[in-house]
Amino acid sequence: MRQVLSKFRYGFYLWIAAVILIPQAVFAQEGEAASVGILEAIFQRIIDFLNLVFYFKIGGENGMPFIVLWLVAGAVFFTLRMKFINLRAFKHAIEIVQGKYDDPDDEGDVSHFQALAAALSGTVGIGNIAGVAIAIRLGGPGAAFWMTVAGFLGMSSKFAECTLGQKYRTIKPDGTVGGGPMYYLSRGLSSLGMRGLGKGLGAMYAVFCAIATMGAGNMFQANQAYAAVANVVPFFENFSWLFGIILVSIVGLVILGGIERIGAVAGFLVPFMAVIYTLACVWVMLVKFTELPAAIGTIISTAFVPQAIAGGVLGAIVIGFQRAVFSNEAGIGSAAIAHSAARTDEPVREGIVALLEPFIDTMFICNMTAIVIVLTGVYADPTSADLDGARLSAASFATVIGWFPYVIAIAGFLFAISTMISWSYYGQMAWSYLFGEATVNVYKALFLICGFIGTVINLQLVLEFSDILLLAMSIPNLLGCFLLSGVVAGELENYMARLSSGEMLENLVEAREPALK
Amino acid sequence: MSWLKKKTVLVPTDFSESSYEAIAVGKAYLEDVSGLQIIHSLSPLHPADPAAMWDTLKDDERKQKVHSFLRKKMHELGYPEAHIEVSLGDPATRIVEFAEEIEAEMIVMPSQDRKSLSRFLIGSVAERVIRLAHCPVLVLKS
Repeated sequence: MRQVLSKFRYGFYLWIAAVILIPQAVFAQEGEAASVGILEAIFQRIIDFLNLVFYFKIGGENGMPFIVLWLVAGAVFFTLRMKFINLRAFKHAIEIVQGKYDDPDDEGDVSHFQALAAALSGTVGIGNIAGVAIAIRLGGPGAAFWMTVAGFLGMSSKFAECTLGQKYRTIKPDGTVGGGPMYYLSRGLSSLGMRGLGKGLGAMYAVFCAIATMGAGNMFQANQAYAAVANVVPFFENFSWLFGIILVSIVGLVILGGIERIGAVAGFLVPFMAVIYTLACVWVMLVKFTELPAAIGTIISTAFVPQAIAGGVLGAIVIGFQRAVFSNEAGIGSAAIAHSAARTDEPVREGIVALLEPFIDTMFICNMTAIVIVLTGVYADPTSADLDGARLSAASFATVIGWFPYVIAIAGFLFAISTMISWSYYGQMAWSYLFGEATVNVYKALFLICGFIGTVINLQLVLEFSDILLLAMSIPNLLGCFLLSGVVAGELENYMARLSSGEMLENLVEAREPALK
Repeated sequence: MSWLKKKTVLVPTDFSESSYEAIAVGKAYLEDVSGLQIIHSLSPLHPADPAAMWDTLKDDERKQKVHSFLRKKMHELGYPEAHIEVSLGDPATRIVEFAEEIEAEMIVMPSQDRKSLSRFLIGSVAERVIRLAHCPVLVLKS
């Protein structure tokens, strides 16, 4: 038996080699177009199957896809169940991030601020530049309004999942934290007497997560980084594979080679680029100040006026929610992995910090992009109808700041790298939950191959593939969060009672004083 | 049976129950319990792990934590004399290198890896230790 197994293993390697090498041979014989064509055909087939499973529409041909309805229901449910936590805890969230409640003696690895920043590096990506443009292209300016609504409601789902992530995390003997949906689904549901269901959902989540990280956090990022760069460096137009190799090598050096320097540099430059990007948005708004009210008016009014291209109001809602979730991960559960590393003994506190994420990502940065695109009017210009994603955003900025597409190219490239690195971490956590630590290099290799594929195939395929897989993660995640919502609500009530009585800060002062002596 | 007795025996642990059970077997082969060596190998942190990103948890610190965790565990299990080694890297490679370093006369380990798919993909840690070790390897069946 053992020998058969080991023979089979070598067969398996041969098979992998064949999968990798045969397209190469085709590539050599018939040129680039043919091999990309084959890749695209394979992906189309996978997508068709996944569409069938997750995207069936409720309410006929123009109805709402099941998975989007699921996310909307989740966000609305948690907003009501937690009594508008997204509004009432907002000020407290900022106080926590400022470090007012940090206790160095609590268990965990990083401060509240550091955990938020780590989670944001996975969320703020090229989606904030390209995703909004895609939403407006597909659903009209009104889709941007629904993105904002989705961001607002998503703050509550994010709160719930990150609170659970903290509550059911495990601290390993070496001091590192194991947390995220895999853990709260299996451990949390076990504590409610649903051991079998919890284990099943945990494993299901880990499988979806490991696969989904290949799409949204990887192929989509690579694809749009290429679009942003090729937009200003025409040399790359015909050399998408070369760009793919460069991008994948940089990411590979960080995640495989442990060259943390690059990661640190990207980590430093990303917030810097985000600030420059925001300033540029403000600049465009100032230049076109007189048209600003009209642009905001367009976004709001078209949100409720049916448009032929978008499939009516419902279409705009679907597109808005999809793109918002794609950008801020609320309901997807991935950010809970990063947030569970925070140093605290109050799960609710980190959940409250986490609700700032959809706010910063979607309600703030995405909205800025949306206003710029609508304000400049490039999206409505028939001569630029073939521009989509990062190219449309770049063209919008270019009407006011001629050289800005270069900044978008650099920002896009850096955002893509940092997001890919963060997502490879989420995927690795899911992978090692399933298969143990020993084989994480297999995962990393697959991740890099997918990143390369993402640069050479077209946006539509990458987007469909990434969308379906990312949203699929919400099925086990939100189901578990629904079942555990009583636990979260109880914790929240208890926390808020202690917060308003003022005992929390008193205790903290007591805990801190001995450390000063 | 005294010709079977060893001076140094190495028992790798992954914190699993079966690896702790292997310690008893290892001890039975020893002339003196002071020759008992325990090793655990940590994998490096992912660069996007928040602790690595902010550099709040150094590798030395992780080693230190595992060391005191295992020290406590050995006391509980009744092997306070055991020498504990914590290293960083691929488990099989580190086990074999350390075995050579301390001139271990035998390595005792359980055959069961926690995850069967990893075993299928790269073989179990035990399989690789058998292939590479300079000394006899006793693989226990559960």
